[in-house]
Amino acid sequence: MKTLEVVPLTRVEGDGGITVTLDGKKVQSVTLDVHEGPRLIEQLVRGMKPEDDLNVVPRICAICTLSHKYAAIRGLEKALRIDPPEKAQLMRDLMMLGESVESNSLHTFMLALPDFLGYPSAIAMLGDYGDDVKRALKLKKFGNHVMEVTSGRIVHGENPGLGGFGRYPSGTQLKEIAASAKELLPDAMRAVELFSTVKYPEYPEVETVFMSVNAPDGKYGLAGDSILISNGEEVDAEDYKKLTSERVVTHSFAKRSAFNDKSFAVGANARMINMGKRLDGQAADLFKENYSDRWLRNPLLNNLAQAIEMVWALEHLPETAEKVAALDDPARADATRETGSGTGAVEAPRGILYHHYEIKDGLIEVADIITPTAQNLDDIEVHMKACAEKMLAEGKSDEELLPALEMTARAYDPCISCATHLVKLKRI
Amino acid sequence: MHKLCDAPGEVEENLSAELVKLAGARMIYVLGIGNKDRGDDGAGIVVAEVLRKTFPSYSFSEHDGLEGVVLDISEKDEDAFIVFVDAADLGEEPGSIKLVKADDISATEITTHRVTVALLAALLERSGKRSAVICIQPGQIEFQAEMTDSVRASVNSVAEALRCLMASRAP
Repeated sequence: MKTLEVVPLTRVEGDGGITVTLDGKKVQSVTLDVHEGPRLIEQLVRGMKPEDDLNVVPRICAICTLSHKYAAIRGLEKALRIDPPEKAQLMRDLMMLGESVESNSLHTFMLALPDFLGYPSAIAMLGDYGDDVKRALKLKKFGNHVMEVTSGRIVHGENPGLGGFGRYPSGTQLKEIAASAKELLPDAMRAVELFSTVKYPEYPEVETVFMSVNAPDGKYGLAGDSILISNGEEVDAEDYKKLTSERVVTHSFAKRSAFNDKSFAVGANARMINMGKRLDGQAADLFKENYSDRWLRNPLLNNLAQAIEMVWALEHLPETAEKVAALDDPARADATRETGSGTGAVEAPRGILYHHYEIKDGLIEVADIITPTAQNLDDIEVHMKACAEKMLAEGKSDEELLPALEMTARAYDPCISCATHLVKLKRI
Repeated sequence: MHKLCDAPGEVEENLSAELVKLAGARMIYVLGIGNKDRGDDGAGIVVAEVLRKTFPSYSFSEHDGLEGVVLDISEKDEDAFIVFVDAADLGEEPGSIKLVKADDISATEITTHRVTVALLAALLERSGKRSAVICIQPGQIEFQAEMTDSVRASVNSVAEALRCLMASRAP
């Protein structure tokens, strides 16, 4: 019996490790262990006013800070029956597009690409791919800028609120965003070029189920009130518990999710699989050129999906910014009730993020947050196990196996600091 | 990586001397890294915020989007020395300070919570800029923890050493 460990897992957000237990050529188990301690955010916000919750929950993650803010806003607005004005909705679309570019640029160019090009890190890539590293920084800087303009700060901006925004950007700021997005489109196209030409090893391939939000109006998008499943089902976001069936495992601080007792995946590949036919512009062409049945089996293709999504986001940023600029600044919409419940579902860069709230007399009674990485953990283990089994059957060495496993896990773009999820305590 | 000093009083003097030696006559930029929600982990951010009051164009924190700031500096046509300031587990007493030279950064895994300092330093090096990291040993980094007295004292020492250096060459 032998144990292989990848500890800590590098180039992911947070502390995590993979433990693979081998018995000869047989894989006994693969576990992705999250070492980040529980932060008890859901308990922390109990008894708070909804607007105060919005200052707390984005602290779960500095990368997906606006996804957390937006998921909470959607859940709380449903609970309080708040109908936000059109301009606020467009601003939310804009901020999510910015976050998408910011996160996908980092993951594709800097974190995943070295795996495919055979470099140990982006630093080692600098000599041969220095321009691509700079492209990543340019795109990331732009994504950060959009987040700052819309939310007030790059990280943990407080401008988005219930019923609207504190203030709206000037026409000049919005014009600059539109112009920069157009300028940067070739940089995103370069990401697609790179990820459509690299080789995707077959080792981690296993058929799985993919979930994403169903964006409204038959469009590709990053928020929705129902969930699409790649088996053809559609489920109301309020029934998120049926889709996630959370449970605790002994080897990790993070809770796990399963659908019909099986693993499933969320993320850019899930969005493309479920909503790819709705893409327009160059993103639609790139999706058609690159999509195949392998997307349903190979998690490594999530990187290509993220690259195509970057093109989509940059193509939609100008139009969205122009729509925001064309509307007068509205007042915030007010709550129409003080007691109720609601679930917000948005697409964080890593997949569906749920924020569910139950409010009584204006105070939060229950908060439940399920992050995309927590949903992906089972699926990561399934694909890593398949990868290990196939590589061992071919007589691959441990030195070849370890990076392949880490590459498989990293393809999900896991955010482990988010995945640390409250474990419910039972008092007896 | 080398250890500058443990004892209060000597830290500032040694740090200043080491920084002068590394920076030469270059313009100084300070980039603070960390998370103020986690007690001592916010040390780098606090140093950058203090210096920003006097040098708004030369001191930045993670909240400014570090990667974009580095990209901008790398494209400037000037001799620059970039000082990253971050809390780092040095295995020393809380508040201990170490100056890590650019050449040693890649071997010393320091996280920026985003792109590694090693990569940013390598990118700066590629455009002819020099860099180093001032590491401050944290005492407590739990969520919503307060900054410890020893780290606060080190933050003041580091900020003062950098202020003197920046003042000597501000345009």
